[in-house]
Amino acid sequence: MKKILMIDVKKCTGCRICELVCSLSHEGECNPLKSRIRVFKIEEEGIDMPCVCQHCETPLCRDVCPVDAIVRDSDTGAIVIKEDLCVGCRACTLVCPYGAITMDTSRGVMLKCDLCSGDPKCVKFCLTNALVYERSEVIDNLRQNSAVQNFVKPVLKSREIAYQEKKEGK
Amino acid sequence: MNGWMGTILRVDLTEKKITKVPLDKNLALKFIGGRGLNGITLYKELKPGIDPLSPENMIIFGVGPCNGTLSLASGRFNVTSKSPLTGGFGDANAGGFWGSELKYAGYDQIIIQGKAEKPVYLWIDGDKVEIRDASHLWGKDTFETNKLILKEFGDPKIKIISIGPAGENLVKFANVMSGLYRAAGRTGMGCVMGSKKLKAIVVRGDRGVKIAYPEKLQEVVLKSYDILYSDWFARKFSEEGSLCLTDIYNNTLGALTTRNSQTGVFENIDGLLSKNFDDNYRVANKGCFSCPLHCGCFWMIKEGPFAGLRWGKAEFATIVNFSTRVGISDMEVSLKAGVLCDKYGIDIITMGGVLGFAFECYEKGIISEKDTNGLKLEWGNKDAVLKLIDKIVFREGFGSVLAEGSRKAAKTIGKGSEDYAIHTKGLEHIECDPRGLQAWGLGYAVSTRGADHLRALPAFEYTISPQKAKELFGTEKAADRFSTEGKGRMVKWFEELRAFADSMEICKYVTRTGLIYPEPLIEMLNAVTGLDFTADDVYKIGERIINIEKAFNTREGFTRKDDTLPKRFLEEPLPDGPSKGHVCNLEPMLNDYYKLRGWNVENSLPTRAKLEELDLREVADELEKLGKLAS
Repeated sequence: MKKILMIDVKKCTGCRICELVCSLSHEGECNPLKSRIRVFKIEEEGIDMPCVCQHCETPLCRDVCPVDAIVRDSDTGAIVIKEDLCVGCRACTLVCPYGAITMDTSRGVMLKCDLCSGDPKCVKFCLTNALVYERSEVIDNLRQNSAVQNFVKPVLKSREIAYQEKKEGK
Repeated sequence: MNGWMGTILRVDLTEKKITKVPLDKNLALKFIGGRGLNGITLYKELKPGIDPLSPENMIIFGVGPCNGTLSLASGRFNVTSKSPLTGGFGDANAGGFWGSELKYAGYDQIIIQGKAEKPVYLWIDGDKVEIRDASHLWGKDTFETNKLILKEFGDPKIKIISIGPAGENLVKFANVMSGLYRAAGRTGMGCVMGSKKLKAIVVRGDRGVKIAYPEKLQEVVLKSYDILYSDWFARKFSEEGSLCLTDIYNNTLGALTTRNSQTGVFENIDGLLSKNFDDNYRVANKGCFSCPLHCGCFWMIKEGPFAGLRWGKAEFATIVNFSTRVGISDMEVSLKAGVLCDKYGIDIITMGGVLGFAFECYEKGIISEKDTNGLKLEWGNKDAVLKLIDKIVFREGFGSVLAEGSRKAAKTIGKGSEDYAIHTKGLEHIECDPRGLQAWGLGYAVSTRGADHLRALPAFEYTISPQKAKELFGTEKAADRFSTEGKGRMVKWFEELRAFADSMEICKYVTRTGLIYPEPLIEMLNAVTGLDFTADDVYKIGERIINIEKAFNTREGFTRKDDTLPKRFLEEPLPDGPSKGHVCNLEPMLNDYYKLRGWNVENSLPTRAKLEELDLREVADELEKLGKLAS
């Protein structure tokens, strides 16, 4: 079953460890500009959001690539770039809905997430589970469960109050 | 070179000259980076006796080899200069995201000299460096400055450090803000920037930091996360941040600065505890660059007079300095005051110390409404706190007296007010009363930047078992916070390790417990640099850094008489709470400490033997010429 990389913006602390381990494991150096995942901050509102490829079901980047350098990895389902074919034309960046493809200006090729062959380093190093790598169905369950949890909070709160009142003999 | 970028940027604001020089590798091996490398640079290049606010003073920004890498909390940087608040060695460090960006721009250090004619800011875009006009930014607070600069460049990834109105108005304890929320707070580094008319330093980089062993670094970092999170204190910090300390210092230790250190327990503490903050204000936890602890937070006040107020920082110091220190029990006032201080670019701890001093002078009848421009400085007066912060920052009336710090303000006011100025070497203490924590008292007294808790931060005094204390410091009593035994050794040990970690520019919250030991730091440093540092090197380099800072202060005329505490801590026992009846028994600890340091016990002057042991012969020669080497 195909796994996907889920982002939970609420849990992201903005530490950018994901950027560092991504560039370190792919390029052997720590350089956010060579990371396939990048965190964007709205500092004054305390919001941090990692920006990374979601490996679309219908990848527009693959479809527009004039040299067929973008393909789907049959093992992981990841949309990956064949660097030897990439000509750095940036066509993929024009259509990506997440802005998740960037250019490595030192080599003139495009960079994007390859899911680390099925064991994403960013997920391994994310300490707050803002990044989760799971089967699509499980991700859906997690999302729905978290929505339900929010929904039942007031219910639980009212039960707690009722319990307290009972205990105090009101 | 792995780790280090290999280039130092020199800027002369008077001559408008920018040069790049290679990093001296031997010096880097002896002092690592950040605080250490800045310290030796300041010592070598600054003549003793200069006015800290003259163009001759320099301000140095430095990072270490691990900054910008996957190493823990690697976004920090150090600012070093001669302090306008203390007249001695001044430095401060801050987190955020600027330190790492400086590495990506290709630099290990920026050394700034001279003084600009008109307000300027420095724009560092990798190799391209410009001194730019900042007249449109002058007068703006740090929040507005950040927004204007971001808009000007249109790139959300640039990183900014800046000063606010406090620095511009030469308030002696102005700080340097990193981004919006992180502060290089202490010793008035923002005041030095203001004196040079340097409003901000804006950085963007596209280089990577080269790593000797990428696989090894990942392994070491994952191991460090485990060590960090195996500790309950770190887990607590990751959830509550430093706000958890309020409860510990007040309720467990009875050493929480209350009403200008009149006592160590505050009666209305509940509303100031982290639980109140979590229940009502905390929105999300936030981390600095590459930090696994994420002790920072974003918060918001939803209703009441401050409704809509939101900010990305609330520390123990933020809450306590504007509450217990001035007798207020309203967390929202502290939050508001904290936001004001960050926007104005001023040190929260010294601000709290100065306010406490003024309030006590008012209580004792030394000053009255006539002196304070009509403000009633009565304990608990919230309005007066917020108004006085404004007056200090804009140097209005009585505010201008306090803008000099409590030591100088006491000199101006006179009439015995000196007894209520809670400082060492001109720097105000943090809100941990040393009468309940003897080693902390020693740490405050000997700290090379004045009454500072972070030079030693001897957290083990109240966290380890007697057995562990014996193993580390030779006596079980070292784990007893009221005992003076073993405290000289404890403070020395901590000072060495803190100096080393500060030179790697790694956060003290991360290295507070499990990661304080040299081994994990060395593993990280060696994986990044490919070198073979040992634990012994850590102690030696740490000791070398302490000795250079000590030599700087010695050259400026500081001696044993300056390594002291306010009379209150030495003579007035704490009146109530868990530390009731105790004073700080400093003298025996000082004697032990100097002996262990190899300095002269009578006057604390460094000795040739110690300096030569640390490869600092030229420092010994210079001090000897000046008649300031121990005979």
